Amino acid sequence: MQDISLHLLDIIENSVRAHAANVWITVVADILKNRLTITVKDDGVGMDEQTLRHAQDPFYTTKLERVKKVGLGIPLFKQNAEMCGGNFVMNSAKGRGTELTAVFQFDHVDRMPIGSLADTLVGSMIGHPETDFHIHLSRRFISGDEAEFEFSTAVIKEELGGIPITYPDVIAYCNEAINEGIKNTKMEEL
Amino acid sequence: MKTLEELRKIREKAQQDMKLRESNTRVKVVVGMGTSGIAMGARDVMKAILDEVSKRGLADVVVTQTGEKGLSSMEPVVDVIEEGKPVVTYGNMTPDKARRIVAEHIVNGRIVNDYVVAAQR
Repeated sequence: MQDISLHLLDIIENSVRAHAANVWITVVADILKNRLTITVKDDGVGMDEQTLRHAQDPFYTTKLERVKKVGLGIPLFKQNAEMCGGNFVMNSAKGRGTELTAVFQFDHVDRMPIGSLADTLVGSMIGHPETDFHIHLSRRFISGDEAEFEFSTAVIKEELGGIPITYPDVIAYCNEAINEGIKNTKMEEL
Repeated sequence: MKTLEELRKIREKAQQDMKLRESNTRVKVVVGMGTSGIAMGARDVMKAILDEVSKRGLADVVVTQTGEKGLSSMEPVVDVIEEGKPVVTYGNMTPDKARRIVAEHIVNGRIVNDYVVAAQR
């Protein structure tokens, strides 16, 4: 993976595969604390202790139907966070969803760029119309000023009534709204 | 600023639009978004397809994401699924190839044989 937004997409796909009805995605860039924190929380099926341990092991997967028996998504994300002065925590319990937090040291020379958050977020919300995504972006600048952005597909869907989120004009709307939020929180330049 | 008012207008337009059509989904496009697909550029393929669908106003096309299916060597992979027709799987996709599939296959109904890696009922 070349950037953090691609890892984020991979993690979101895990949540959807775990039958999450809701996925909460938080990106906090706090330059004063020198931290970039990505959190993904879902209300999917969750994992027992053993599976949770295995999920962080590069030689394990639950996707039995597929040819390849190793899953590298989570271990790679963990490695990338830990490699640049950050850390990685994943909590889960059977039937209670999963929460994953990756912390990157903001100014670490090896920190991957954040990449296109917009493409990850828009692709996921349109590509998984049955799942609701709750997005929170937060940026804290050197000056101490803060910029925040919130977006929830639940709000969009309520407003749309029966019209699907996959309707062309809605795709364009979501794309513009997300890009606007990223621009306002200055997340595109990280 | 994007407003909810804007969304209400889209809803009204879409409701009119949907009334005129018999079936709401004519084609389903599925983009493989497993770890290897993502690493090979599946997100840009997804973006290109969504862009075409939204620009061309293809209201009867639904684009979704799925996990890996054992075609890792041909990632990114895209399935085009139409009612009553064999599922066509395209491999080694790029954003440009994906745009061509939207124009030729999804809009005009001609399978792009150059990119097909599998077809099945």
